[in-house]
Amino acid sequence: MAIKKNIRRSVLFVCLLLGITYAGVAGATEPYEIVINPSVNEKTLSKSSLRAIFGMRLHAWPDGTAVRVYVMPDNAPLHAAFSKEKLNVFPYQLRSAWDRLVFSGTGQAPDTVTSPEEMLARIASTPGAIGYLSKSMIDGRVNVLQIK
Amino acid sequence: MSKPSSRTASIFVLLALLWSFSAQAQTLSKLLKLPEMPKLPQNLQIHGFASQSWLMSSGKNNFFGKSSSDSGSFDFRELGLNASMRPLSRLQFSAQMISRTAGKGSPGNIRLDYGFMDYTYFSGESGQLGIRLGRMKTPLGFYNDTRDVPFTRPSILLPQSIYFDRTRKLALAADGMHLYGEHRSDMGDISFQAGVARPLVRGDEAEAAVFGKQFPGHLAPEISYTGRVNYDLDGGRVRLAVSASQLNMSYAPGVGDVLHAGSVRFTPVVFSAQYNAERWSLTSEYALRRLEYNNFAAFKNMDFYGESYYFQGAYRFTPEWEGIVRYDVLYTDQDDRSGRKYAAATGSPAYTRFAKDITVGLRWNITPEFMLRAEYHRVNGTAWLSTLDNPNTGDLSQKWDLFSVLGSYRF
Repeated sequence: MAIKKNIRRSVLFVCLLLGITYAGVAGATEPYEIVINPSVNEKTLSKSSLRAIFGMRLHAWPDGTAVRVYVMPDNAPLHAAFSKEKLNVFPYQLRSAWDRLVFSGTGQAPDTVTSPEEMLARIASTPGAIGYLSKSMIDGRVNVLQIK
Repeated sequence: MSKPSSRTASIFVLLALLWSFSAQAQTLSKLLKLPEMPKLPQNLQIHGFASQSWLMSSGKNNFFGKSSSDSGSFDFRELGLNASMRPLSRLQFSAQMISRTAGKGSPGNIRLDYGFMDYTYFSGESGQLGIRLGRMKTPLGFYNDTRDVPFTRPSILLPQSIYFDRTRKLALAADGMHLYGEHRSDMGDISFQAGVARPLVRGDEAEAAVFGKQFPGHLAPEISYTGRVNYDLDGGRVRLAVSASQLNMSYAPGVGDVLHAGSVRFTPVVFSAQYNAERWSLTSEYALRRLEYNNFAAFKNMDFYGESYYFQGAYRFTPEWEGIVRYDVLYTDQDDRSGRKYAAATGSPAYTRFAKDITVGLRWNITPEFMLRAEYHRVNGTAWLSTLDNPNTGDLSQKWDLFSVLGSYRF
């Protein structure tokens, strides 16, 4: 009897484990753009450069200004959409790449902002800054960057 | 017989506990929120981690402390703190201090893990080229650079076939100079680092690691070479790497030493491959390690190849929950995989010369800062067990189990 009970329990456990697979489906995100501080002269950027910037491996704009990267938390729907659609990578890949840099000393992590409002404020006020924002949030204090 | 079954039960209880906690993760994450870090000057970053593990093993096979005792071992603890600063976009300074307690081989002393200056000589749209001076991590395989950082590992214990503790001291980090570069294109990114350095082999632990026991003399680092080439396709969907190092040490005999002034050369070559999809990742590495002991007089010159490989699959049920499965194989001597020749020559058990490890594990990211892990190993062979934690190899069981739980915090 006890064994039967245990089996039933483990089956329940496995079901629960599989069940959570369906819990994390993200809703569709609003349209968004890659935004930069107006001090950055670039209007367009190649995909590989964008990847290198968000991979924290390209540290300066062509004019020499230091790049400052801002991101939303790993679990933010906008961060996931941006990572997948613009960089073709998944948020966990970015996180492990950043961790490899940070904990081997060969690079630094991007700055994480907690809200779209903070993203806008930081991009607007930091020379060389790059991030992403919902179209509805974008105003004249930041420029939009196109990807070639 | 009752011991393993009660262990299996306790594993299930633990997993169930983990699971029931998950429902309360939201409240827990609020409770666990520590005070925010004060604002740092631009470009200065400070990061760190603290982790504590508990291990329990069967028989008398001890891994990281007295894990085969009734209460298991808490003797596996990792603490680290690093700082980096980028005063110019071309220049970065980085340093990390680590304290690692892991059985008798790592007593937890605080040491400089790395500390170097990084200057990017050239940086452009298609790539970069630079130089690093100081103490750098030795680039070996996918994990050596960050092997003491729990969040960067695929499991509580790295695949021991390649990242076992005996050669850890030799390949951990080295003082010297590295060149690095990267070329980016639509065909993928190729990057490399290569350097000349002196490995960190001073201290009693280094002698124990190289000779299997303590001797009166001391090892000294000699000029060594290290390098790795990485190829990343499609932002890291496919990652390939080849690493090779040649690490040289000389031995200065002590008073009344049976050993003469010999030398040790360790030449590992590692091939690494990884495929990353949204839910799952497959990783495999293959290593060939040449070990040469010359002119020690007390024993004949030795020259043999160790061989290791593993296959690992990880599945992310949600961003918070990840499961892994791995099959990991180590042969101390490629020409004597069964250990029979060794047993005939030395009288020591043959199973101390290989280890085949099946691992299953679960990772739960409670918050981005807190992680809990549990894993179970079923191992055939004892090749990667430390002789410091297991002084009598005759006591060891050939087939054994290891269960471990780890909690880790980072910032």
